[in-house]
Amino acid sequence: MINPQDLRTRARDLLAKGEVRAVIGYRRGSRGMAAEPVVITRPDDANSLVWDPTCVHNLALYLVEDCKQFAKVHQHPEKPIAIVAKGCDARAIVVLLQENYFKREDVYIIGVSCETVGVLDERKLAHHPAGVDLERLESAAFAGDDFVFTTASGEQRLSAREVMADRCLECRNPFPKTNNVVFGEEKARTLAAPFAALVRFEKETSTQPVRWSFWNHQFERCIRCFACRSVCPMCYCDECVVDSIAFAVMPDTTAEEKANRVRWIERSASRSDNIGYHMTRALHLAGRCIDCGECERVCPVHIPLRLLNTKLERDAREKFGYEPGASVEIASFVSSFRDDDPNDFIR
Amino acid sequence: MPEQQQTQYEPKIVAFLCKWCSSAGSDLAGVSRIQYPANATPITVMCSGSVSPQYILSAFRKGADGVLVSGCHIGDCHYLEGNYFARRKLYLVNELLQFIGVEPERFRMSWVSAAEGTKYSKIVRDFVEDLRPLGPQDKLKAQRP
Repeated sequence: MINPQDLRTRARDLLAKGEVRAVIGYRRGSRGMAAEPVVITRPDDANSLVWDPTCVHNLALYLVEDCKQFAKVHQHPEKPIAIVAKGCDARAIVVLLQENYFKREDVYIIGVSCETVGVLDERKLAHHPAGVDLERLESAAFAGDDFVFTTASGEQRLSAREVMADRCLECRNPFPKTNNVVFGEEKARTLAAPFAALVRFEKETSTQPVRWSFWNHQFERCIRCFACRSVCPMCYCDECVVDSIAFAVMPDTTAEEKANRVRWIERSASRSDNIGYHMTRALHLAGRCIDCGECERVCPVHIPLRLLNTKLERDAREKFGYEPGASVEIASFVSSFRDDDPNDFIR
Repeated sequence: MPEQQQTQYEPKIVAFLCKWCSSAGSDLAGVSRIQYPANATPITVMCSGSVSPQYILSAFRKGADGVLVSGCHIGDCHYLEGNYFARRKLYLVNELLQFIGVEPERFRMSWVSAAEGTKYSKIVRDFVEDLRPLGPQDKLKAQRP
């Protein structure tokens, strides 16, 4: 069990000793019990840090943002930045290190182990038969294999498995292996069904027409708000190939260049363009997506985006023996190959 | 029955052929006067490894009924390893297209060397025969006029 106080003490020490310039973590948000991301720079603010089942966000995104800000002014940070990272967040950081987005010494990873559980899925909690009143919840806490929710009237204990996020139920490594310091223990977790959501989906839509009608329905609803792209720590490009608006305009960019930029996909949220967008995103994340599930969480129209990403993750694992975020040393998935890659689909 | 022949649906195929092998192979099919359907529009690319998934999706979006990517045999790449990258990348494209419910016959990949004019003609012929019963591709095609 992690005592959040240990986390605060460590963060305060790091800041007080000047080892890091800031700590990216979670604090109590303004909406009920939910935590929100915070960047603290003063040692005194370390007391606001929390660690509870509502710390769902993948904070690696803020490392990317931090890097971009320094790059914009052509500077390099003198001190590292510290980040509170769960198992999945740490894997995201590994992928970013693998791609040389920043250097290992530029980031101080404060690992937190999810131990035997994971983080909360608020949608599941809202639909839980126990009738939890989301509005009145004040806090959530880990308690072994359970979550304890505190309301004004008292405590409510729920089995974590019932309200945990899907990706946590399928997570193989709830422990940040790459870290500078880690809280909590590395506990073995035996999974009943890895890729459970994907397997379930494939069973339900086993034929091609059924599968098409499912995705047709999903992609027609996409409003192309690009929330999935914005929240993804791997989608760090300044220019996005599938978004003609995300076009880096420099002072010397001419009107012709602006007018003649390649539009692979039109802006309108039509089905074919949406498919182009999501397919391209899934392919760009192949071997990079570490399944933090943020894209699916932020989707305002609830498109099950994890299915696309886990599909390719499973292919990478089963057909190519590649595991995203496993090690900084290995070459990235699509920039490497093996002699015995699948060849039987080629004529 | 000339009427029936006129109304027979002809699938449109976009074929991305690598410059060094498959494009030369299709050339050989031409100069050897091998008869094969004229449904494939060849687009010569420098290497099968340069074919971005974006090209394939774009072809489908513009109304292609099938997309063929063809390159040098493994080990024969002019750039030594381009086709290895292509194989890995396009395997994923193929899987993903099937995953969202696009007919598996619509995307095809082949290795055709500069000496395999016959093989190229057979691949196009088979592709057209497989596509014909599926009818026009309207899943990925842009709905705009």
